[in-house]
Amino acid sequence: MHFIVQREQFVQSVQHVNKAVSSRTTIPILTGIKLNVTFHGITLTGSDSDISIESFIPAADEERELAEIKEEGSIVLQSRFFADIVKKLPGEEIEIFVKDQFAATVKSGSVVFNLNGLDPEEYPRLPTLEEDQTFSLPQSLLKDMIRQTVFAVSTQETRPVLTGVNLEAADGILLCTATDSHRLAMRKASLETDNESLEIKNIVVPGKSLNELNKVLEETDELVDIIVTDSQVLFKLERLLFFSRLLDGKYPVTSTMIPDQFKTKIELSKRDLLQSLERALLLSREAKNNVVNLKSLDGRQIEITSVSVEVGKVTERVDCTELDGEELRISFNGKNLIDALRVIDSDVISIAFTGAMSPFVLKPADHEQMLHLFSPVRTY
Amino acid sequence: MSTASWNGKVIFHVDMNAFYASVERVHDPGLEGVPLAIAGNPKERRGIVVTASYEARAFGVKTTMSVRDALKKCPHLVIRPPDFDKYRAASAEMFQLLEDYTPLVEPVSIDEGYMDVTASFKTGKSLVLAQELQKRIKRDLGLSCSIGIAPNKFLAKMASDMKKPMGITVLRKRELPQKLWPLPVEEMHGVGRKTAAKLNGMEIYTIRDLALYSGIALKARFGLKGKKLHERANGIDYREVDPEAANDIKSVGSSTTLAEDVTAKAELLKVITYLAEKTADRMARKNVCSHTIQLTIRYSDRKTITRSKKLVNPFFSAEEIQRQAVDLLENYWNGNPVRLLGITALHVIPKQEAYTQLDLFSFLK
Repeated sequence: MHFIVQREQFVQSVQHVNKAVSSRTTIPILTGIKLNVTFHGITLTGSDSDISIESFIPAADEERELAEIKEEGSIVLQSRFFADIVKKLPGEEIEIFVKDQFAATVKSGSVVFNLNGLDPEEYPRLPTLEEDQTFSLPQSLLKDMIRQTVFAVSTQETRPVLTGVNLEAADGILLCTATDSHRLAMRKASLETDNESLEIKNIVVPGKSLNELNKVLEETDELVDIIVTDSQVLFKLERLLFFSRLLDGKYPVTSTMIPDQFKTKIELSKRDLLQSLERALLLSREAKNNVVNLKSLDGRQIEITSVSVEVGKVTERVDCTELDGEELRISFNGKNLIDALRVIDSDVISIAFTGAMSPFVLKPADHEQMLHLFSPVRTY
Repeated sequence: MSTASWNGKVIFHVDMNAFYASVERVHDPGLEGVPLAIAGNPKERRGIVVTASYEARAFGVKTTMSVRDALKKCPHLVIRPPDFDKYRAASAEMFQLLEDYTPLVEPVSIDEGYMDVTASFKTGKSLVLAQELQKRIKRDLGLSCSIGIAPNKFLAKMASDMKKPMGITVLRKRELPQKLWPLPVEEMHGVGRKTAAKLNGMEIYTIRDLALYSGIALKARFGLKGKKLHERANGIDYREVDPEAANDIKSVGSSTTLAEDVTAKAELLKVITYLAEKTADRMARKNVCSHTIQLTIRYSDRKTITRSKKLVNPFFSAEEIQRQAVDLLENYWNGNPVRLLGITALHVIPKQEAYTQLDLFSFLK
């Protein structure tokens, strides 16, 4: 194996695949990054067996040569050192070759690293997926959908299936849902697919995988192909493949949880509410319960209060653009509401309540593509 | 030194003598004068002596000794199971009595507490006060105690240990070289077995050795604790008597040393159920709940692990405590023989300040 590659390209690829590598793996070979070199280009692979990332650097793209391949071959190098080494190399180009069995030499400028590698034959093969359930989304849209749902997944292992985001597709609409059973985030989008009858259900992608995927996605309209099977999902970018294991178990039905009748409805500036809640949380965080109280007032106003027995109390009035329906007093986890408000891009939001002891719905006022549901809190 | 210009303090440390055994005697005068031990599980003979009366101590019966060994030392030993409700009630009466003299009473445990009686010193009557207090506790409650009188908490605590039972010991600062310093360092309050071994390794055997050792070196070796120990050995202790200290309960729990090392899971589960009920009971008594549960496992080789878990919603019921503790046991018990199990609710908060976040799935019809 012998090649010379543009440093910038190579560093980016190494960093991408390195996101899948975990130092805590039980399979020693997976602490490494696999390099596979053919005359077409260089393929790098990193995996922790839940997530696998493969990045490809072609020998040349339309404009220029990216790598000069002198000899084909492969090797696995310890990611902990290799990723840091390539980042710190001084030259514009990096030359890597393997002479003895698993000993690699990495050269750049006047720097030479001799690294002991591992046998590439031991590296597990990535799954090959049946491509009959496939759809596409622009990268930037997928990035939004992840950002707007993944924060709501559960961090508790008591119900493992809730640690993932559920994907559902039917009638050309993709629906992403995440819930930790106290709040729920839902995001819809139109799909691009050749498969008219595409219908997917109960595809639960671990939240951790999506957080990593989000880091390699870019703000472009280029499409991502998404291929789903019973146990794996593959996100296919132009030069990058991102595989993730799916979570076992049945994702609970969530559509029936959303109330369709409301007793009190408010509409107000997202920014006003967010800032008010952030102030209220200054005290309730101290009380370690994040509890914020909301009360409807006459004259299109709501009152936000929060109390910490030790520190004190805060009261604030917030103007609404609309306030209809019954009088309301409700207490909820302010932190959960803040999390949701931070991922909403609209300026005006609406909240619909069905009483103090029932879940309530938060939505952007200008579209129906997103919905957040919260449970209230109660005292003893 | 004139009383008027002196700005120091007078602290009492009141230490009840053989408290549990003494309380039992108040309830059953037939036990007067006989060697008595309070021990968990007296029937099984494997329980551990929690308190021994002075008559029993004369035979060599000691706290933490197993019942079997205690009976070898003293075959006619009378053994009673502990009755904590009784002890708690007696303790409450005792502290109420102390509060008749000053509001500055800090309970340290069920059977000991500090009092700041500086005001009485100004009138020069602190020794008289101690004698009166001791007599009243004996007369009204039928219990004996030892009292240490000193300018700070540490010295008062050391002083109360010097004469038992029914002792009153005054420890003045200028008497340290004669009264305190000759004691072996492991008898110093705050020095446990491990610290004592480390100190011995540094050729520190008596409190004098510790007092005269370099404070800087001790701080370097033991951190803040080293500095504190050095100060205390020199009779310095700035801690105030804080009546609120005991109200600031941070954790509530229950633990038990098992009758024998246990490897059967079913057996451990039974113990957990018992401890969960005990913990829930104590939490209810204090009207608190908690978000964090901790399980303590001590193995037969004395290696001890604690593992905790933070929950979204507060818990207080025995069922919930039991479920979470079992979960911790299943995750962290390595299968080796267990000697002790304990459940603790950490960072407890008053129940009226607690909220529960409702489960979205529970609204489904």
